[in-house]
Amino acid sequence: MDLIGISLNHRTASVELRESLSLSNTEIVELISTLKQSLLKEGLVISTCNRTEIIGVASSQNVSFDDLINALLNFKKVDGINSESFEKYKSVKIIEHLFRLVAGIDSMLIGDNQIFKQVKDAFQIADEQNFIGFYFKKIMDYSLHLGKRVITETAISEGAVTVSFAAVQLIEKIFSNLSKKSALVIGTGETGEIAAKHLRDRGVARLALTNRTFEKAERLAKELNTAVFPFDNFKDHLHKFDIIVSATGSQDFILSKSDIEKTIKKRNYESLVIVDIAVPRDVDPDCRNIENVFYNDIDSLNIIVEQNLLKRRNEIPKVEKIISEELNNFSDWLNSLQVSPIIKALRDKFESIRSEEVQNNINKFSSEDKEKLEIITKKIINKILHHPTVELKKFVNDNSTQDLNRMKLSVIQELFGINTIKEQEKN
Amino acid sequence: MISTIHLLNVLLPIFYFITFLIYLYDFQKEDKTLSNSKRLFLFITLCVHLLYIILRTIAFDHMPITNVFEIFTLLAFSISFSYFILELVTDIRGTGMFIIILSIAFQTVSSFFIKDLFFVREELRSNLLGTHVFSALLGYAGITISAVYGFLFLMLYNQLKQNKFGILFDRLPNLEILEKLCFYSAVIGFILLTIAIVIGVIWLPQSNLNFSYTDPKLLGTLAIWIIYGIGIFRKIYGKLRGRKLVIVSIIGFILAIGSTIISNFLAKSFHSFY
Repeated sequence: MDLIGISLNHRTASVELRESLSLSNTEIVELISTLKQSLLKEGLVISTCNRTEIIGVASSQNVSFDDLINALLNFKKVDGINSESFEKYKSVKIIEHLFRLVAGIDSMLIGDNQIFKQVKDAFQIADEQNFIGFYFKKIMDYSLHLGKRVITETAISEGAVTVSFAAVQLIEKIFSNLSKKSALVIGTGETGEIAAKHLRDRGVARLALTNRTFEKAERLAKELNTAVFPFDNFKDHLHKFDIIVSATGSQDFILSKSDIEKTIKKRNYESLVIVDIAVPRDVDPDCRNIENVFYNDIDSLNIIVEQNLLKRRNEIPKVEKIISEELNNFSDWLNSLQVSPIIKALRDKFESIRSEEVQNNINKFSSEDKEKLEIITKKIINKILHHPTVELKKFVNDNSTQDLNRMKLSVIQELFGINTIKEQEKN
Repeated sequence: MISTIHLLNVLLPIFYFITFLIYLYDFQKEDKTLSNSKRLFLFITLCVHLLYIILRTIAFDHMPITNVFEIFTLLAFSISFSYFILELVTDIRGTGMFIIILSIAFQTVSSFFIKDLFFVREELRSNLLGTHVFSALLGYAGITISAVYGFLFLMLYNQLKQNKFGILFDRLPNLEILEKLCFYSAVIGFILLTIAIVIGVIWLPQSNLNFSYTDPKLLGTLAIWIIYGIGIFRKIYGKLRGRKLVIVSIIGFILAIGSTIISNFLAKSFHSFY
């Protein structure tokens, strides 16, 4: 089996380059059919916003990294990219790379669990295109098992690592049930839109929007099915909301301390969370001194993000241990591929010799002894093969002397005239 | 039996301390494997403590309510037992160490000073007194737990206000839950204290010749009862919430401790058993 793979990712290429080689699901399907024609017998194509990867079992030993790179570049009709923009992997290094990818420690955002789902989807597409064969079926099983282990046994994906998620984490430290809370998003630019979508996804009971350009707010409100207030009088409604997220492009404060004081009084001092993710800030930071008002700006949210990233980094050794364990398991399986067919062939060979000799001489025995002959000869064969079978099975678990083991196996195959691996691959 | 009681008396603070250490370790490391075992260890500790109370009652032929150190061991049990029930009901597991530390304090003092009392005044063997003391103790356990959650609320509140996101931010439940735990514990404490006061006021004048309505313990408990009553009433009508609510609970607790110290150690009172 000749495993080969290329990876264009955030370490090797700029965002423009990654964008130019990004593949949609339809394109992946088309590329797979191209790869199957002459380059790969089976494999996988992964494409996310941060990476495009092709890995697989080469159709012949002549398939090179450049062949795969050119296949991708020709497919995307992109010129002027040299092979240095790609990481190249061979044999078991590809599996290690894939495992790191699935575990989320190869991602730009450490512990990104989106990649696990994306790899799962890539396996599914490949499977639908009959691109998953004998080896990749097993690689898929090991990868998915590893992904699940990493999620359950480590905290690599825990904690918010983006500002908008950090805002939600913070809000959830004040309120226990967002489905009973209401939120107002001021400003419907890109940041405001993301925040509004996050809040809606977290199940906020009532979401409302306001924006200087009313039509823009109205458009987003329609998409999210929320209420919208005219910017001129939104302050009259502030007290109705438990959460205020502000993300406008205003150069001055749009909410002063006295605005918030009036609001909290109208709320009868019920807790109010203000998340100011605008730069420059929209809300007077002095309002953090008002009782039961929780004010957070982009800097405080960044503190949460940094802390969570640090915690995730501290989980990497645990993840690497799991990867190493699963790599060992995979190597054992690979080794067993070589050994099991040899054991079977060896036993078949001895059995055929035994039965042939018994048949040739069966008439020399009385009918009472014929049955005994069968039993005794089978016992002899089993005793002869017991030690070689045990020794062969040891090869599976012994990764330290792989080359020597391979040599021993080929000697056994030659001595007894058995050749089985090709047959196994065909199956 | 006496030697078993003495052995358990020594073991109990150690059991509580080990339970506290497991909760502390879990609080710091958030080890998923300890999540259930710490609860199991608390359960074992409570079983040992219950056995100790039963053995004392049988061996000395009275409930352990006749002096302050016997009451302390009951209080240690009540606090941890109330927390155990609260943890089971709410499944909030991150706050145990803050509660169990109080049981360690009460049990350690009790273990050091408790005496084997075979002879006690006859009125101290009364069932009504037992009900009075038990409801008062559980009431105090309720307000103690309420104060602990109030204290935790204040710590998290201040951290959030100051944008500090340390271990308390990571491990404690959110402010709304802490406020609820503080409030509900106070309500339970208030109801039990009410029962204790009612029994005390009806029964004690008949059974105790030294009874006085100006007794410091009685006045202190009444003051605590009024503070909690007003706090609960205002909370129900939406006039008190958040930081102010938990401060009321903490003040009530401080008064309760003060009242106990004054009535048991400083003032002359029919509540003084020491």
